[in-house]
Amino acid sequence: MNRFSGALDRLGRAVLAAVEEMGKIILLFVSVLAWMFRPPFKLRNIFKQMEFVGVKSIFVVVLTGTFTGMVMALQGYHGFRMFSAESLVGGTVALGMTRELGPVLTSLMVTARAGSAMAAELGTMRVTEQIDALYVMAANPVKHLIVPRVIAGVLMVPLLTVVSDFTGILGGYFVGVHILGINSGIFIKNITRLVELNDIYNGLVKAACFGLILSLIGCYKGFNTYGGAEGVGRATTEAVVLASISILISDYFLTAIMF
Amino acid sequence: MFSLSSEAKVGLFVLVGLIILGYMSVQVGKQTLGLKKGYTLEVFFDNAAGLDRDASVQIAGVEVGRVESIQLQAGKALVRLRITPGVKLEHDAIAAIKTHGILGEKYVELHPGTRGAAFLGPGEQIFRTERQTDIDRMLNQLSLIADDVRGVTSSLNRVLAGQAGEEAITSILTNTKDLTRNLNHVIVSNEAALHAALENTRQLTGNLNRVVTQNDEKVGQVMDTLKSASVEMEKTFATLKEITGGINRGEGTLGQLVKDKGAAEKLNQTLASLQEVTQKINEGRGSIGKLVNDDETVRNLNEGLTGLNRYVNKAEQFRTFLSYRGEYLFDKSNAKSYLDLRIQPKEDKFYIVGVVSDPKGRRTTKDVTSLGVTTRTEEWDRDGLLFNAQIGKRYKDLVLRGGLLESTGGIGIDYLTLNDKLKLSFEAFGFGNDRRAHLKAGAEYRLFRHLYLSAGWDDFVSDQDNRSIYGGFAIRFEDDDLKYMLTTTPIPK
Amino acid sequence: MIKLVDLHKSFGRQKVLDGLDLEIEKGKTTVIIGRSGGGKSVLLKHMIGLLRPEQGQILIDGTDITKLKDRALNEIRKKFGMLFQEAALFDSMTVAENVAFPLREHTTMKEKEIRETVADRLRSVGLTGVEEKMPSELSGGMRKRVGLARAIALRPQIVLFDEPTTGLDPVMTEAINRLIIDTQKNLNITCVVISHDVRSIFEIGHRIAMLYEGKIIENGTPEELKASRNPVIVQFLAGSIEGPIRIM
Ligand SMILES: Nc1ncnc2c1ncn2[C@@H]1O[C@H](COP(=O)(O)OP(=O)(O)OP(=O)(O)O)[C@@H](O)[C@H]1O
Ligand SMILES: [Mg+2]
Repeated sequence: MNRFSGALDRLGRAVLAAVEEMGKIILLFVSVLAWMFRPPFKLRNIFKQMEFVGVKSIFVVVLTGTFTGMVMALQGYHGFRMFSAESLVGGTVALGMTRELGPVLTSLMVTARAGSAMAAELGTMRVTEQIDALYVMAANPVKHLIVPRVIAGVLMVPLLTVVSDFTGILGGYFVGVHILGINSGIFIKNITRLVELNDIYNGLVKAACFGLILSLIGCYKGFNTYGGAEGVGRATTEAVVLASISILISDYFLTAIMF
Repeated sequence: MFSLSSEAKVGLFVLVGLIILGYMSVQVGKQTLGLKKGYTLEVFFDNAAGLDRDASVQIAGVEVGRVESIQLQAGKALVRLRITPGVKLEHDAIAAIKTHGILGEKYVELHPGTRGAAFLGPGEQIFRTERQTDIDRMLNQLSLIADDVRGVTSSLNRVLAGQAGEEAITSILTNTKDLTRNLNHVIVSNEAALHAALENTRQLTGNLNRVVTQNDEKVGQVMDTLKSASVEMEKTFATLKEITGGINRGEGTLGQLVKDKGAAEKLNQTLASLQEVTQKINEGRGSIGKLVNDDETVRNLNEGLTGLNRYVNKAEQFRTFLSYRGEYLFDKSNAKSYLDLRIQPKEDKFYIVGVVSDPKGRRTTKDVTSLGVTTRTEEWDRDGLLFNAQIGKRYKDLVLRGGLLESTGGIGIDYLTLNDKLKLSFEAFGFGNDRRAHLKAGAEYRLFRHLYLSAGWDDFVSDQDNRSIYGGFAIRFEDDDLKYMLTTTPIPK
Repeated sequence: MIKLVDLHKSFGRQKVLDGLDLEIEKGKTTVIIGRSGGGKSVLLKHMIGLLRPEQGQILIDGTDITKLKDRALNEIRKKFGMLFQEAALFDSMTVAENVAFPLREHTTMKEKEIRETVADRLRSVGLTGVEEKMPSELSGGMRKRVGLARAIALRPQIVLFDEPTTGLDPVMTEAINRLIIDTQKNLNITCVVISHDVRSIFEIGHRIAMLYEGKIIENGTPEELKASRNPVIVQFLAGSIEGPIRIM
């Protein structure tokens, strides 16, 4: 009985903590929104973050995109072959990339690369009192540190998703046409036949949401770091885990709403 | 080192990203963009199962629009089509739901209607629809057809089985027999005249021929012959007239038959009822009539059978392979290419037909005897292709084949091992002339699914210094790999 | 200028400030001494509103900052400059950018002016030619001086120094002490300095306050402190192991 109530207690605490954390993240988002439109705009900071989040992630995104497209083509081919519908491989790869895998994989990669870096950077700033220093200099850390990162996340992840979609389709094309021998005309025809503009654009809307989620969580975890180097490590891990989970969960709901 | 500011890098990236996005959007949105401007038409289908929003709308296989919405209205499926501007449909246009292949997706096929009729305007309805085909319906129809066939035969049976029917038929048959006998008689009695006519005609054509070919001036004689021929013919016609006159007057059995009211009546009746049946069929009444008359049914049946056929085919063992082989002859510094089609009706039996391009070419020899000395000249036809035509049989791991190898008679033995991955082969051909046979030994190893590597020793007993080590590769596709193209492209209507 | 009334602050079960009262006079330098881990940094952070007390008041020119909202607090903070114990330089910025940060934030100076001001402030802490270095490329003492330059960049009315000379060589320690004295005198600013260095304490301090067990146990002129009979102060100034301050 005692043990049971103890477990219940712990569960209640965990749920409460999760709810509280979510509330804090939403509050942070609100203050990001508030500070985002308050001049002066730190364009340099924004560009720096955009370079970090966007430009420097191109390579991994291209790599994951290409191979995802390739493996989709391969798997799809074997599946569709059972129904003599191999020509659908192109369309399937393109649909899968634009709707799901492009946005999700890109944001997971960016989470791993940039979300973690955000947490680590802000965490370090927190434990070395740099954030305190900002407060002391009457400079708002949300405006200086978080707004540029969130803007970069929201703008760059969709752009990276475009790259991922495109290279994924190219990868699928390569495997489908050059290795599996699907007719290239039919491959492309099926892409344009099955994929709608809305598939691409909804994918990008998703990507923007994911960009928001990962940058917000990265910043939140970093910003609330405590406990020295170990704390920075913990914050980074937590940021990646929480952001990844949130992306996957929100993906379900976004998909349910949009498609 | 030249380095860009972060602004420049970000700008560049955004630009590239937007270009890619724009490109993809244009590619994907091409049809959709054009369509937004089009007009809508409505169709009621009894059953729109399997049809999706945004499914293709086609005329003669060309996409002219998309399905905009599907709703239930008054127990029917109201399908709204959005048609590309500029595509005009007449009022009697027909809409049908069709399938790509037998398992493919559904689309709406339109038949524009008769030319000259008024065009359908935006929001108007297409009234004529065709029922969609599915396997159930097809089988249903087939059983109906069988029923009808049975009905027809049983009614025929009834007509023929009755007493009156039997009598009528017997008399018809008797009369027919008499008729033919008399006709025969007529022909026999006029045989001489007919014969003469034919003979004259033959002569006539012969002479005409001569006139044309040799420009003979015996035209007058020809004319004479012609005249006498026509006289003979006139006589023949007169005789024929006499015969028909006799028939008319009721002389002879045939005449009697025609004049005899009762028999004629029976014949008439029989013919009439036969005519009725055929008319019914013609008018498309009854299932058999429908089957014969309704193009759709025929098409449906054809489609179904084609589809089924494909399925059955696939299960069969019949396989075809297409292969290309390239071999580089190291000692000769040139390459040989083989293009083979291998038809394998059974697992252990195959035929190969193919062409070989050998840069050495084909040797032809010519013996020329002049001044009592025979000299043999050899010629190499360098552009010439050599041919392969072999028949082969497989016994476990051993394959024996023979036939035409590089345009000469020969045999080959292959030994397959490592799950057919490795093939050791020996070929002997080019026997029978003044030189040693062409022997070739080599191995071929399957590297990937379609790619093989090969190496060996070509013409290794050559007395013409033609021996060479070779190495190369082969690409081999089973025709099945390309089959989807056939199965998923819409069946031509 | 700064008046602390009955401050209480604890972290978990650890009570760091326990009913602390302290008044800091305007235009004077007050040195706060106390044992390591005794809560001096915590006290300093309270003065600038980085930490909020559980109980008590912090009056800056008569305004209690413990109840202020962000925006009003920021207005108060603009009067302050602070040197953190570990300098707290922004390590994503160069030295010059660090020093220029408060200038860019709160003034409308042109780039050229900023550059000149930055060079001037760096020169006054004995640094030249390090503008384009990153903080990670500096020694601990150099970082501290850059932090000092940043703290005084805006010529604030109150400057809080958390151990400005710890980790510097004697010559540099002397130079920084001079700098604090000169700046204080020339600009007539209020300084709060935390220091362990006994020589520096008496050199720069107009008043010296001893923090012990969460309270200010002595607050007076250097002379008064030197004459104090309080065993804690005697032990602390003598640096002896024997006495009420236990090392555990
Ligand atoms: N953020 C914090 N969370 C928990 N405990 C803290 C925190 N900041 C300070 N402390 C605790 O408060 C006490 C006082 O710390 P403080 O940094 O003020 O010491 P200090 O007097 O400045 O020492 P030193 O002279 O070594 O710098 C320490 O025991 C420390 O463990
Ligand atoms: Mg301290």
